[in-house]
Amino acid sequence: MNFSYRIAYVFWRNMISYKRFVLTTFLASLIQPLFYLITFGIGMGAYIGKFGGKPYLYFLVPGVLITSVMMTASFECMYGTFVKMVHEKLYDSLIATPVSAEDAVAGDIAWGAFRGLVSGGLMMIVAIFMGILPVSLVSVLLLILLMIFVGILFGSLAMIVTSVAPNFDFFNYYSELVITPMLFFSGVFFPLDKFPGWMKTLSQFMPLTHAVAISRAIFLGVYTRGMIFNFLVIFVLEVAAFFIGVRLMKKRLIK
Amino acid sequence: MKTIISASKLCKKYGKFKAVDRISFDILEGECFGFLGPNGAGKTSTVRMIHCVSPVTSGTLTVQGMDAHVDNRTIKQNTGVIPQEITLDNDLTVRENLEVFAHFFDIPKREAGKRIGELLKFVELEKWRDSKIDQLSTGMKRRLLIARALLNQPKIIVADEPTTGLDPQARHLIWQRLRQLKNQGATLILTTQYMEEAQQLCDRIVIMHQGRILKAGVPARLIEEEIGREVTEIRVSADQDDRLLAALGPLAIGHERVGDSLYFYSRDGRPLMKKVLELDLPDTVHRPASLEDVFLKLTGRSLIE
Repeated sequence: MNFSYRIAYVFWRNMISYKRFVLTTFLASLIQPLFYLITFGIGMGAYIGKFGGKPYLYFLVPGVLITSVMMTASFECMYGTFVKMVHEKLYDSLIATPVSAEDAVAGDIAWGAFRGLVSGGLMMIVAIFMGILPVSLVSVLLLILLMIFVGILFGSLAMIVTSVAPNFDFFNYYSELVITPMLFFSGVFFPLDKFPGWMKTLSQFMPLTHAVAISRAIFLGVYTRGMIFNFLVIFVLEVAAFFIGVRLMKKRLIK
Repeated sequence: MKTIISASKLCKKYGKFKAVDRISFDILEGECFGFLGPNGAGKTSTVRMIHCVSPVTSGTLTVQGMDAHVDNRTIKQNTGVIPQEITLDNDLTVRENLEVFAHFFDIPKREAGKRIGELLKFVELEKWRDSKIDQLSTGMKRRLLIARALLNQPKIIVADEPTTGLDPQARHLIWQRLRQLKNQGATLILTTQYMEEAQQLCDRIVIMHQGRILKAGVPARLIEEEIGREVTEIRVSADQDDRLLAALGPLAIGHERVGDSLYFYSRDGRPLMKKVLELDLPDTVHRPASLEDVFLKLTGRSLIE
């Protein structure tokens, strides 16, 4: 593994290109989570009433925040990276400079995480305007850190997919078979306790479950010992996914 | 002149396919060295190993005395690459493309600004500095690739088929610029399928075919040795071969039958042409020998897929 400070240059390149379509991405990354907040939060929430002593939106918002980070970071490291690698051959010109393949891939994962943070941050601002506030300022800061952390996780996982993707259609498998199920089985919209045992077990294998659990604990300021386990799970997965993703991408880029 | 790049028994395999098969060569500082060959000859694979984006399978390859491998950032720092494919950043403007690359080479901002101004002038793209890439013609994109390759003031410039798909004006402009760079002391490594390009630019060439070097040398000398000075092409059906060979063969140093044409190679074509006139063969072309003849003789005149 050959990493250097040039990761920052790759990130910076993405930033320059981003300024041209920043507004469209704001819209794109806001619309879906907003729908969740409105339909589930306000529509369904009216029937649900209080949830652990607080309105349902307090349950929903921390989950949707993390979901939106997951979506954005994943798609950026799939479609975004794929276009740069295959269509524009940008990676080919990058690795002919002192930037190594590892720098280039890590820079793109960092970029995916940043895009995730922007999406999640926008959601948080919307939630605050709706009157759904994290419990304290410390919570806000911790949530920002968590969003970056989760962005790197899902960006790295997406890189693994990208490293083996022959074309765009391939990404559908990952989004339909991995991302979508996670959305519904990770306790974003409702608690997992009423699930049958096997479904509970299954959800424990989904990184989003753990990320949402941490997010909710931070948002509400209710810390439990279970959080340490949640954190360990995604930390181990994140480190593994990062190095595997970088290695596989390097294999694809350098022949 | 001293050797700047040296390869010995260099091999490149992709799976089981041998793209480069035990080739050895030395490139001298300040010369223009050409790799010629048809598609799939192994030219691009060879230069990709030189500029450290493709690992060496076996053999040795040193660049400026250093071992060439994909993690060697020092070689990359000193090398400029004009790629075969257009690998510009479509999301950025002309100037931003160069700014981002200057960053990759750790060129300080002020210095980068100065160099970008000079290079845009050098490739005649000043007017387009704020244009998006898709507004440029292919020739302009190629010129921008040259500017980008020169940002780091490289000692070694690798140009992988730099004029493919260009019109004659654009091609000549690029040749001039490449010659200018050589005159400024850079070592130029060129791959091309255009023989004219090699004759225009290269001090020494190797002709590659199926991963191996068939011939190496100075272009003019190679032509002289392999073909002679002049070529006479006669379009005539093959059943005339015996008669024509009997009459013209002794006046030539070699001949070849390809499709509908009979080729005679000679050092001095005048006696041969006299005979051609006597025999009244109207469909005849008499011309100086070129590198293309050497190339076709060595690699065969049939199509290479």
